[in-house]
Amino acid sequence: MSWIVRMIVLLPALAALVGLLARRQRALAAAVAVAVSAYVAMLGLIQWIAPSRTADIDTIGSLPLGDLSVPLHLLSDRVSGLVSFVVALVVVCIQVFTVWYLRDDPRYGQFAATVSLFAAGMLLLVQSGDLVLMLVGWEVMGWCSWLLIGHDSERAAARRAAYKAFIVTRVADIAMVVGIVALSARARSTDLMAVLTATGDGTLLTIGLVGVVIGVAGKSGLVPFHDWLPDAMEGPTPASALIHAATMVAAGTYVIARLFSLYAGHDGARTLLAVLTAVTMVYAALLALAQTDLKRMLAYSTLSQIAIMLSALAAAPAELGPGAGISHLIGHAFFKALLFLGAGWLAVLAGATALAGLRGRLRPTGGLRWSMGIGLAALAGVPPLIGFFTKDTVIDAALEGATGGGGPRAWIVVVALFVTVVLTAAYCTRAWLLLDTPVAATGDLPDPHPAVVTEEDVAVVTAADSADDAEVERVHAHGHPGITLSAALVVSVLAALTVVGTLFLTSFSGGVHIGLFSALLSILLVAGAAYAVWSLSDRGRVDVADRVPGRVRESAVRGFGVDTAYVGFGRAVTAVARLVVALDRDVVDAYPRATAVVARAAGRAGERGHRAVPSLSLLSLLVGVMVVAVLGVAAWR
Amino acid sequence: MKGLAIDYAILLPALLPVAGLVLVLVADLVNPRLRRVPYAIAGLAALGSAAATVPGLGLGGGSTRETFCLTGRELAGTAPTVDGLPQVCLWQADALGGTLQLAAAVSALVCIALAWPGAHRRRPADCTREPVEAVLLLAALAGTVVVAASRDVGTWLVALELATLPVIALVALSGRRSAVAGATQLLVTSLVSFALLVLGVALWFAATGSPFLTPDAALASGGAFSAAPGAPTTVVFPSVSGGVVALATVLVVAGVGFKLSLVPFHAWTPTAYAGSSVPVATFLATVSKIAALAALLVVLRAVAALGTPALLSIALLASLSMTLGNVMALRQDDVVRLLAWSTVAQAGWVVLPLVSISALGVGASATYLLTYVVATLVAFAVVAVTVRERPGQGRSIAAYEGLWQRSPWRAGALALALTSLAGLPPGVIGLVGKITALRPVVAEGWVWLAVVAAVNAVIGVAVYLRWLRAVITAPAAAVGAPAGTAPTAAPVAVARRRPVMVAGLVLASAVLVVVSVQPDLLLRLLG
Repeated sequence: MSWIVRMIVLLPALAALVGLLARRQRALAAAVAVAVSAYVAMLGLIQWIAPSRTADIDTIGSLPLGDLSVPLHLLSDRVSGLVSFVVALVVVCIQVFTVWYLRDDPRYGQFAATVSLFAAGMLLLVQSGDLVLMLVGWEVMGWCSWLLIGHDSERAAARRAAYKAFIVTRVADIAMVVGIVALSARARSTDLMAVLTATGDGTLLTIGLVGVVIGVAGKSGLVPFHDWLPDAMEGPTPASALIHAATMVAAGTYVIARLFSLYAGHDGARTLLAVLTAVTMVYAALLALAQTDLKRMLAYSTLSQIAIMLSALAAAPAELGPGAGISHLIGHAFFKALLFLGAGWLAVLAGATALAGLRGRLRPTGGLRWSMGIGLAALAGVPPLIGFFTKDTVIDAALEGATGGGGPRAWIVVVALFVTVVLTAAYCTRAWLLLDTPVAATGDLPDPHPAVVTEEDVAVVTAADSADDAEVERVHAHGHPGITLSAALVVSVLAALTVVGTLFLTSFSGGVHIGLFSALLSILLVAGAAYAVWSLSDRGRVDVADRVPGRVRESAVRGFGVDTAYVGFGRAVTAVARLVVALDRDVVDAYPRATAVVARAAGRAGERGHRAVPSLSLLSLLVGVMVVAVLGVAAWR
Repeated sequence: MKGLAIDYAILLPALLPVAGLVLVLVADLVNPRLRRVPYAIAGLAALGSAAATVPGLGLGGGSTRETFCLTGRELAGTAPTVDGLPQVCLWQADALGGTLQLAAAVSALVCIALAWPGAHRRRPADCTREPVEAVLLLAALAGTVVVAASRDVGTWLVALELATLPVIALVALSGRRSAVAGATQLLVTSLVSFALLVLGVALWFAATGSPFLTPDAALASGGAFSAAPGAPTTVVFPSVSGGVVALATVLVVAGVGFKLSLVPFHAWTPTAYAGSSVPVATFLATVSKIAALAALLVVLRAVAALGTPALLSIALLASLSMTLGNVMALRQDDVVRLLAWSTVAQAGWVVLPLVSISALGVGASATYLLTYVVATLVAFAVVAVTVRERPGQGRSIAAYEGLWQRSPWRAGALALALTSLAGLPPGVIGLVGKITALRPVVAEGWVWLAVVAAVNAVIGVAVYLRWLRAVITAPAAAVGAPAGTAPTAAPVAVARRRPVMVAGLVLASAVLVVVSVQPDLLLRLLG
């Protein structure tokens, strides 16, 4: 069975290579990308159903690093089987959708190959039983995200977003590498099992766990590294779906879940994680409420949802295990992929991604309307969709942690989770109302402040211009072509999975675990929030976010200037570097340069003293003999 | 001379140059118009001398090839050492001495190849020049070979002067103004040096009562006067005679310092080098230095028996020489002057290990001298070939611009020589030499001296890289106008090229390459 595990990692990488070589033949590239991802999904299904449960699958042999053992093993169990199956499934959907979505893009071949490589990176991370392999997969995803986000490289905004994503995650990866080194040094091995069972040296353990948390915060977009993710919407919608749904952003959850038994015994690292996730989930949900662009709203919702997954790992009691986080990862993968692909479809139909331009455009679309409705409901946590079960599993785990001695750490998470439930339901309701309420309904509405609202609305929309400009241009250039059957089918499949996907989660322990009280409470909160938004927005006729004061809203759309802070941070680093260079040049190098100056001056003086005058040389000779003789006799011992 | 046992086979390294000298004189007597024959004889004599030293190289651990042995004062029937006088041999060539002799002979051979005369006389007047040059070269070589093996003060003094005086004549021989100036300065300093040496030797004799430069004699210094039965004074303070030995040693160091061109006895060096022809300058920079160091080592090895830990005056001379030599070399644009100042600096490095008067210091000093000699030979040979190619302008650094493009082999040899002198990696032997030279200094705890040496190693790198940069960069002008100059310059160069000269360069470069690739070879030669 171990060959399946190896194939799951190897095949997407090979598909990327073949796809890159065949990038000129569009049909061949598409066939390779779709066929291989489908085959890998099948292999993932086999691995999940009949897991081999082994931790020593060889890859390329161990690295000869002397004292440090680096076996480079793959690890296969039920969790890795399920996650890799879900990842592969989402990748198939995205590949199929991409064939239609990038139908006019001359660089489709490169894009599909990059998606394959990205999948290879994620699957390597999922299957790895070795910290080094994990890091390799992690970095492959980081690099591919740069390629995917910057796919429309002729646009400056896309290039900037790509660099921003790469640099921000890179900065956090410094801590990740330090953490992995610390954990490996502690265990004298990079093997996951050895790392988990190693004992001793608390300092190294602390450095390792905190480092990994910071690295995960970078890739998963926890505060303060969160701002790259909304900007990453500059990439084509399938790339966003891939990054958000099942791969890069969620990878952090998987890494921490793999190391859960270490985290369970370390309160400090878990407290850090709990605070970061609590802040992120509430903050991102608030910002999602204020967004003017559908894709950016989804991006902020991703931040919030990823924080929920990680909060499960931060608050769950040790005996419950990391199951809650993993199950929310899977649920989120389904409904977020569904929402992004649906948003892409809708954007093609409407020619825009700004909410103002999409108002009421969902209503006449039939299947798409159902799919988006299911997606938003799952995101909000409406039973019996998968979002409800996974989110309530997380809440229940956190509650158990709080009542079972988790202390303030778990309580912070619990409170933040309930606040987030309310906010999530609110922004989902807002999005649904905006997308679904016919524009005509808003026309005859007696608006209390018509002029002000319109002005602000326009200002906000033009300021935070539509995220996926390339898509808008594409639609304007080529009209509104009908969607292909396969692409529409993919969206429907994802919608169906969102409904029945809960069945997947029953296969591993801790997957679904719901407390009656918390479930009832969250249902009530969801319903209350939805009702409040519905009534506040006058049954969908106005945007509820318009009730926020204009200045606050505009800065919220812009992420409260975090981008400026990043730029300032970069400038500060550059300034420090310049200072160091100047110090090195003017202070440290002064001594070497001084020797040069002194040597030259001494040479000039010496030349003046050597004019080939015999008397001078005789004089120096006499003095020399005297000095040498005196010194010689005096110092003789 | 019944008391002397003479083994002529052991004396061959010295006898062959002398025999060659006589042969040249005879040939000149028979046919005064000969030009190349004297040089051929001289070259063969040097080659033979080099070959004759080879049997002595394999000697390890203190065994020597010796002859001219005094087998005791009373010979008839009695035991040789019956009256306490040790058995002394006036000629002792051990591994170190033999290696120095070999180096001197090979260097002389290269110098002779570099000075190889052309087929046509430039002026009819100097018809006796070639035989005279050959004779002088051979005489100086004979003196160098003898001084390395001499163990009594008489031979030592005579051989040292025999190694020095012919060189003065060689410098003066070209008759140019600058040559005469250089020769005069060399002569003056040689006279002073000789005076110092004689004074030192006289003090040695006074302190030890022995005419031999051997450890036994040095050890006897404490009781030399009292041991002599007929001496007028019976009470001698050991401390006084110890001080006299010290003074003798220091005076010898000063006297030899002239020949090694240590600061402050260096003033003649740039003048004499610049005034003489390139082959003669080569001879001054190599064979003369070997002679001087060999002479110094003879004395210091004798003194080493006293257990003297260190000599402050040598440390002073070494640090002054290194610093001034490097600093001045940094400012020279004439490559011969640059090499002259580099000689001053390298002389400092040569005597640097001698601050520890011990077997370790002596060996390190000889090692460094050999690395210096090999690298300098190559550098001078390249200069000689270049000067022959472009008469009048081959001595400036600017003339070496683009040498890498014009003749890569010669440029490669020069680069290897310069990096060896600087102690940078392609010239591994230079690095090994510097480390070897620093080891006794550090072992004796002379921290300040080691620091001075390290600083000078850095300045030295700048000195040689300055020249090397010109070698490997293309000249700006050559790119612009290659067509106009090349056709006219090339035939001249071909006409003036001497195969023997190139052979000398090849021989020196080959030695340098071999010891750079396998530095172990050189270190093992010295035991």
